Amino acid sequence: MVKLRARCILLGDAAVGKSALAQMFRSDGAHFQKNYTMTAGVELFMKSVNIPESSDSVELFIFDSAGKETFLEACEKLWKQPSVLCLVFDVTSETSFRSCERWLERVRAHCQGLQVPGVLVGNKSDLSSRREVEMAVAQEWAQSQGLEYHETSAKEMENCEAPFVSLAQAFYGMYQDRVQTIQSLA
Amino acid sequence: MTEDGAAAEVVLVTSGDEKHPPENITDRKMETFWMSTGMFPQEFIIRLSSAVKISLITVHSYNVRDLKIEKTTSNDITEFEPLAEKEFECTEGHLQTNDFSFNATTATRLRFIITSGYDHFISVHNVTVDGKYE
Repeated sequence: MVKLRARCILLGDAAVGKSALAQMFRSDGAHFQKNYTMTAGVELFMKSVNIPESSDSVELFIFDSAGKETFLEACEKLWKQPSVLCLVFDVTSETSFRSCERWLERVRAHCQGLQVPGVLVGNKSDLSSRREVEMAVAQEWAQSQGLEYHETSAKEMENCEAPFVSLAQAFYGMYQDRVQTIQSLA
Repeated sequence: MTEDGAAAEVVLVTSGDEKHPPENITDRKMETFWMSTGMFPQEFIIRLSSAVKISLITVHSYNVRDLKIEKTTSNDITEFEPLAEKEFECTEGHLQTNDFSFNATTATRLRFIITSGYDHFISVHNVTVDGKYE
């Protein structure tokens, strides 16, 4: 049995639903915050993800960063050596999608050459009439950046676990791979 | 582990995989190792069987970047003092071997703190301590 620990950085523009998504994942869908409260600085919580067909698990230490530029400097201090990345945008906001590139650049500066698995999440998928970012477009960009694409609706409890589970699995896969490499060295 | 052939054991470790336990750090075998399981810093404490005047510490590892060594002679493990600090070179494809020489510094416990790595996961294969019993 092994319990891995991963520092998961949650980032993206303000009001795209990062905290709502994190809350849904944290509470297993029991808690959707109806009123918006802006995250100032970083909120941290831990949730363990079990790896199927094993007794192993990954503890995700989720750093929910503020999206507002004002808090950026404070947030970046906590981004050191991230294990996995969760980049979120709002499918009804082209601007939030276009910001993703800048968020990725910022966080990659803290990766110190590490290979960091990441996902791109298009949130608010329930607002289909107001959609500004097509799934195919987001998917294509995600792929070009080596990110796995997920669409979620924190409000409708749609798919909220998937991005985090996929990150946990990617991190677990990387661990197994490294153990093998190290075993072959000695 | 010392040149007198005395025992040393790992008494604290911050992470672990049952398959790669911390005992592997002091078992004198290069093929067994302790593996960290994610995030930094990581640390382990080695207890020497009694006070030793240390002349050399050798660390065999993989993907460790920054390592700090602290020591204590007291039984109170909250009182460690800095002993050495080093940035290891990245050695892709083979183990890292790093020596720390001392002019007979006395310790009963050694604390190893890995503050960063060249990968998310690092391994420590062996730590040997050379010296003389006081």
